[in-house]
Amino acid sequence: MTNHTDRPADFESYWDAVDQQLAAIPAAPELDLLPIRSNEHCDVYSVRLTSVGPYRIFGYFSVPGKGSGPFPGMLLTPGYGSVKAVPDYNDRMRYVTLQVIHRGQRLADKPYAAAYPGLMTEGIDDPENYIFRDIVADCLRGAEFLLSRPEVDTNNVAVMGNDLALITAARRPQFSIVQAADLMFHRLMEARMRTEAYPLEEINEYLRTHPEREEAVARSVAYLDPVHHVGNITATTSLSIGDQGSTAGADWLERVSKNFGGPVENYQLTHEGGTDHDTVDAWMAEKLGSQPMSRFMTTV
Amino acid sequence: MTATRKPPEEHQTSVVRPPDFDEFWGAIMAEVNEIPLDPAMEHVPMRSTDEVDVYEIHYNSLDNVRIAGWYCRPKESYIKPPYPALLLVPGYVSEPTLPKSWAKMGYAAVGVAPRGKLRSNGQFNPGYPNLLTHNMIDRNTYSYRGFYVDAARAVDFALSRPEVDPARVGVHGSSQGGALTITTAALRNEVITVGAAGAPYLCGFMDAASLTHSYPYEEINDYLRVHPDHEQQVRETLNYFDGINFAPQIKCPMLVYVGLEDDVCPPETGYDLVKAMECPTELIATPRCAHDAGRKWVMPKVEEFLNGHLKPAAAELHAEPTVG
Repeated sequence: MTNHTDRPADFESYWDAVDQQLAAIPAAPELDLLPIRSNEHCDVYSVRLTSVGPYRIFGYFSVPGKGSGPFPGMLLTPGYGSVKAVPDYNDRMRYVTLQVIHRGQRLADKPYAAAYPGLMTEGIDDPENYIFRDIVADCLRGAEFLLSRPEVDTNNVAVMGNDLALITAARRPQFSIVQAADLMFHRLMEARMRTEAYPLEEINEYLRTHPEREEAVARSVAYLDPVHHVGNITATTSLSIGDQGSTAGADWLERVSKNFGGPVENYQLTHEGGTDHDTVDAWMAEKLGSQPMSRFMTTV
Repeated sequence: MTATRKPPEEHQTSVVRPPDFDEFWGAIMAEVNEIPLDPAMEHVPMRSTDEVDVYEIHYNSLDNVRIAGWYCRPKESYIKPPYPALLLVPGYVSEPTLPKSWAKMGYAAVGVAPRGKLRSNGQFNPGYPNLLTHNMIDRNTYSYRGFYVDAARAVDFALSRPEVDPARVGVHGSSQGGALTITTAALRNEVITVGAAGAPYLCGFMDAASLTHSYPYEEINDYLRVHPDHEQQVRETLNYFDGINFAPQIKCPMLVYVGLEDDVCPPETGYDLVKAMECPTELIATPRCAHDAGRKWVMPKVEEFLNGHLKPAAAELHAEPTVG
């Protein structure tokens, strides 16, 4: 029986193969201005890119409208769910942003539309076919696009998101800043037994139906566990930490925090959404040389 | 010209109740009442547990659109019927989750997927962003005309179940789920016995759009930048769909909770909603909280409030936190 937290023996070759697949396929970016989402502060484009498969993914790409640039960059990796919004108004004003929309999510759902619930376990009994292998590739493709843009100050690019942001930063070292929260894949096989909440409940449901596949599932998700990736992150990282004793708590994430290749700061979430947003925003703005901005307007 | 933002309780809504508001919705509900519900349930063993049976459900709604959802009920070996019904209504971008944790508490719980949500988007699919502004200048084809009805129609589904106690029917959600809690409690006010609405969206649309640049309300700002000449038509249409105008029709006890730094659904609009309610209403406003609306601290109160009115058999258990 494999220890569920072990690093798979072929970890490097597994992910190198993804990089090789990406390298073999032209991204063929297609940008279209979206006048309705653009404003006096930014231009917003839809972008379509080819990822592994080949599969055409979607993104929202925005460039600040004032100043000549280059501007700090911000890659937003997608969270779990079918809909991803246009990047935040304040972020579009300050940074060149790219919101990646991975295969299966709305706007990248033809020909493959992800099911919710369902995505979490798609192909999970085989690491080569697990959907999150391709989803990571989609994020890496987005990273390559953003880092290639002339509007971006490539010495000053951040990535924000969950496990996908950490994996992206680990495999594309050009990122200098990382902000991560809501990790799903760390010690997932233990975490799933402590919750009935989705999406981890999808794994519980799958294994109730297919108990004989537990070893295979554990093997697939081990490739995604951020603890095996963060050693390759040299960027400065902020890791949002939840309540002690939870699967987002400092004790649960201790191995992740300690394994980073670069400096890491744990941010203890207050669960006051305004406070947490403004704190993280100010941290990011300082690192990227910009001004902090609250989403809650104090003047109208 | 800019001014310092006033405390939310001092805000004056710009929402106007159209004189034919009741007539407009009366005609829509009469129309849907003529459409056979034709409910269907398919057991989903994979997602069921020792305590809870999960079903994928479908029913007919306005314009004969087939609506999907999840129905989770306690197994009779776990808790014997009758059960109180609880409708869980979804946020704008989220898909309805399976309300298994509520069913484990003893509720016959319906997770509603109004038109445009996954599994209910075969006949109507404006997409995201766009749902908020789809046909926003025409009250007779505006997206939320059918969307609101789809949620209200889930009440009919619940009442079609013999294991449901028709005297105990609640509705709960946050964000767009908060809005649907308001509209469903109003449109089915003869049936709904309690409701809990978090960070209610779709209340004071135009005021909200002037108080934030966060999506989804930013969709309205985006639209009006491109179509500034449509503002009056937009305002007139939205008055027919504003939760503030539904509020006086609600008869049951309600809990409304807001975050006082909510950039998505500005707290002013939550206060305006509560001012318009004539039913017994409790408002919880949590400082420094945003669209979470103080979820960490408020969810126990939401459960206590709903459980107090609906009396599920295993009220000592807890549901998964409601997100919008």
